[in-house]
Amino acid sequence: METRPLGATGQESTVATFGAIALNWLEQEGANQMVEHVLDHGVNHFDVAPTYGDAELKLGPKLRQHREDIFLGCKTQERGYDGAAHKLERSLDRLGVDTIDLYQIHGLEYESELDEITGDDGALAAIREAKAEGKVDHLGLTSHGNPDLILDAIDRIDDLETLMFPLNPVVAGKDDDEYDYEAVLERASEENIGTLGIKAFAKGSWPPTSELPEEDRPYANWYEPVDTPEEIRDRFDFAASQGLSTVVTPGDPKLVSMVLDAASRYDGMDEATQRALIEQSRHDDSPVPEQLHH
Amino acid sequence: MAEETPSQTVPETVKAAIADRPVEGRVCLEAGAGVGNTTAGLLAAGAARVYAVTDDPAHAAAVRDRCGDATDRLVVVEGDLRQTPLRPDSVDLVTAHGLCNLLDPAALAAVAAEFSRVAAAGCHLVVDDYEPLPESAAVRDLFAVENAATELATGRSALTFYPASLLRRVFAGHGWTFDRERTLLDPVPWTASHLSAHAGVVTDAIAGLPPELGDPLERRAERLVEAIGEEFAGTMYSVAMTRPDGDETR
Ligand SMILES: C[S@@+](CC[C@H](N)C(=O)[O-])C[C@H]1O[C@@H](n2cnc3c(N)ncnc32)[C@H](O)[C@@H]1O
Repeated sequence: METRPLGATGQESTVATFGAIALNWLEQEGANQMVEHVLDHGVNHFDVAPTYGDAELKLGPKLRQHREDIFLGCKTQERGYDGAAHKLERSLDRLGVDTIDLYQIHGLEYESELDEITGDDGALAAIREAKAEGKVDHLGLTSHGNPDLILDAIDRIDDLETLMFPLNPVVAGKDDDEYDYEAVLERASEENIGTLGIKAFAKGSWPPTSELPEEDRPYANWYEPVDTPEEIRDRFDFAASQGLSTVVTPGDPKLVSMVLDAASRYDGMDEATQRALIEQSRHDDSPVPEQLHH
Repeated sequence: MAEETPSQTVPETVKAAIADRPVEGRVCLEAGAGVGNTTAGLLAAGAARVYAVTDDPAHAAAVRDRCGDATDRLVVVEGDLRQTPLRPDSVDLVTAHGLCNLLDPAALAAVAAEFSRVAAAGCHLVVDDYEPLPESAAVRDLFAVENAATELATGRSALTFYPASLLRRVFAGHGWTFDRERTLLDPVPWTASHLSAHAGVVTDAIAGLPPELGDPLERRAERLVEAIGEEFAGTMYSVAMTRPDGDETR
């Protein structure tokens, strides 16, 4: 599988990153098989979080067995020093490892959170301390919030090494500022910050729970995913061809194999095909069938 | 994703078609304005003035709605492109994005002549359209029904897909020099929303036909929309041409 430099971290990540939330839906034995399957495809970057149910615990055994082969990303939703320091220890403990390669502020959403994490008593101070102690190697941030806020974060966190944010044809087709993650990608590339793409396989939001109760959803994703091999391949190729360092696999284990296959076969996507996917989702989105053409 | 208001988003196809053309400070003719995608693109790229011409009053209103409030650089013209009120030699850039497939050969000839009449020396022309669809494309059946319905109702085809090579020759015959060609879409996504818009053309066309003629066409169109769902087929191209500086061709 193709690898790319993850910003200035020195890590060469495979173009697919395994989103280990998928393990949460599997029994331990299935989780072990899944990790072996992912490693068989050559994937060398894993991403997990303490908020993904049992994912950390289920990743643990195989992670420890293959520790050298895996660049491990983890996250914290804590914004203050004490919380972050505590949750880091807890993740190290649950994963059963001494070091997390990439520790990320998880799900930045509000400007006030940025004030909090960058403050003297903020989460960043705890992560920097952990770096000095060798418990963490690199610092990252994840957000599906306002692109402007992420740009602010780049300005305000000098030692930021990676960013994780949404990128797919739906988002890429919208010029409005609130979807301008392309500006984030551009800025991150200028600053040599590694970029991880999420929601690459999102087709749209789930129908309201009044129409489709949560327990009746066919996939364990935050969003309704595309789910045929062709669509998955198109979406992977699209995301990987935007210039991201790596694309995170979707949350449902049923989709992971298809994505790994797409990632193994990735060979670029020309611009006319990228535009075709953007046009497709632009029209999918439009409520009124008024347009004959593109 | 959040609800979409009719946003200022300019489609990537339009951006790719005009990206390498001089737009800033230029007077543009957006021929066949539709819902204003290219109009929005030209205005965003800094056009000095855009004449957005369409023969469809609903489209004219849509373009005004979308772009009109924001600028004094837009003139929406409701009229026929075969004969526009524009003065000779008054336009620096002509765009025809998805227009030509709606013109039958006679109309195409007249529109090409009109572009040449209004073009200033050194004028640029961008013609974006669809290559004829491959035999295997299922949407061809829907377009065939659409053409059958409009032929019966008006004596004219609704759709003609001209190869880029043919349009190049048509405009070359009017003194335009070929500059470049690029692929905008490959493949072209014919989404459910496109297909039902095409079925809508059939429904409109048969309104004037006797039911025994029209109804089977409408049913067939509806069945095809259902059966096809969505299809990726064919390509959309962008051809750019220019007019020589000194105009010795007229
Ligand atoms: C599919 S739209 C083109 C899309 C548009 N250029 C855009 O960027 O959104 C075609 C437009 O051409 C107009 N049209 C077709 N034949 C015409 C003619 N002979 N004179 C004027 N307008 C015409 C239609 O009414 C429609 O507004």
